[in-house]
Amino acid sequence: MVDVSTAVMTVEMIEASQAGLKAVGAGLAVGLTGVGTGIAEMSIGAAAVGATAENRDLFGLALIFTVIPETIVIFGLVVAMLLLF
Amino acid sequence: MAEVMAGPAPYVYVATRLRVRKAKLLRPEEYLRMLNMSLPEITRYIEELEYKTEIDELSPSFSGVDLLEVALSWNLAKEYQNVLALAPGTMHAFTAAYLRRWDIANILTVLRGRTQGFGAGKIKEVLIPAGSLDRAALDRLVTEDSPERIVEGLRGSHLYPVVTRELSAALESGSFARLENELYKQYYADLVRVARSGIKGGYEFLQYIQLEIDITNLQNLWRLREGGATEEVREFMISDGRIPVDELDRVARLDSVDEIVDSLKKRANLEPLREAIEELRCGCPVRQVESRLTRFKLDLMDRMSRRYPFSVSPVLVYLERKRYEVYNLRAIARGKSANLAPERIQEYLVI
Repeated sequence: MVDVSTAVMTVEMIEASQAGLKAVGAGLAVGLTGVGTGIAEMSIGAAAVGATAENRDLFGLALIFTVIPETIVIFGLVVAMLLLF
Repeated sequence: MAEVMAGPAPYVYVATRLRVRKAKLLRPEEYLRMLNMSLPEITRYIEELEYKTEIDELSPSFSGVDLLEVALSWNLAKEYQNVLALAPGTMHAFTAAYLRRWDIANILTVLRGRTQGFGAGKIKEVLIPAGSLDRAALDRLVTEDSPERIVEGLRGSHLYPVVTRELSAALESGSFARLENELYKQYYADLVRVARSGIKGGYEFLQYIQLEIDITNLQNLWRLREGGATEEVREFMISDGRIPVDELDRVARLDSVDEIVDSLKKRANLEPLREAIEELRCGCPVRQVESRLTRFKLDLMDRMSRRYPFSVSPVLVYLERKRYEVYNLRAIARGKSANLAPERIQEYLVI
């Protein structure tokens, strides 16, 4: 015979653990995509600064290329929001 | 430590900067347009490009073709020193080693100038301090009154052992040709040593140097063949290329160009080099063969820099392209001042 109060406590624990894991998942989604974006932007940013240093007219184009990897972190943010809300 | 933390970013930065600079160099159609201009027009045209600072600075002291020539030399030296300052880590070591060729050119200019009785001022005009000997060091050497004292002034430099060994023979014979050969042989041996010293990126640098050695050897081989000096081939060849010196020495004695090309191609284990050897079959005069090989070398170096985009190759390609831009502008300026026909000047251009 299962004690009702123990069952309620177990359900509460499971719900709390689920919420916690969701938060961890959301954190990982943003954090890891952020790291990925950073790595991708390292070379593009260096090249963009190099190109702009030689030719100012390339600034706009270089900026666009540099922010393209930002899409990865936006995907991560969307996934985090879907998890949390 | 900073370099480890930064990862490949500094290499990417420098390689991109130099690619942009390479794109800004003069294009073939601009040279062709310049061929139809007068000397003052050419000076004005160049002044609007990267050479403005030098032309403005030197115009009170020089005029005409001298102004152009000195401005080009100053700009080349400034540009090379700038590239050297930009290059990070191993790129810096390779670039500095590569630029030492200018030390050889400068020392030989000083020695030749002094032995032929030119004044210090005239010699200074033609020096290009782009190597490890800066303007102050070269100014000191130029003011020395004898070749022996000039060589003493080099004590501690990488050139000193070879120059000391060869100087007396050069002064006796009155020709610095052998000294020049020995210095260039030593230069290439040093470059190969640096490339093989285990520094990261050495493999790409070695590829580049070996290609340069092979093409220089082919050019020299053709020159010697034309001059009928096939017995001296071994003495003039640079070792460490992909085609062994023994093979070059052997083929120099063959009569037919086709035979030479076929034999060399069998020994060349690299497709681009085989393509370069094929250029020799054109049957054109020696000067044209040389310029075809130079063009081919630049194209190969371009291809190599695309294959290894973040190695030292883009830096070296820019240095070479810049050198030939200055060479072409000087050829146009000198040709114009000697009233040569545009078609004649065009033959000398590397475009």
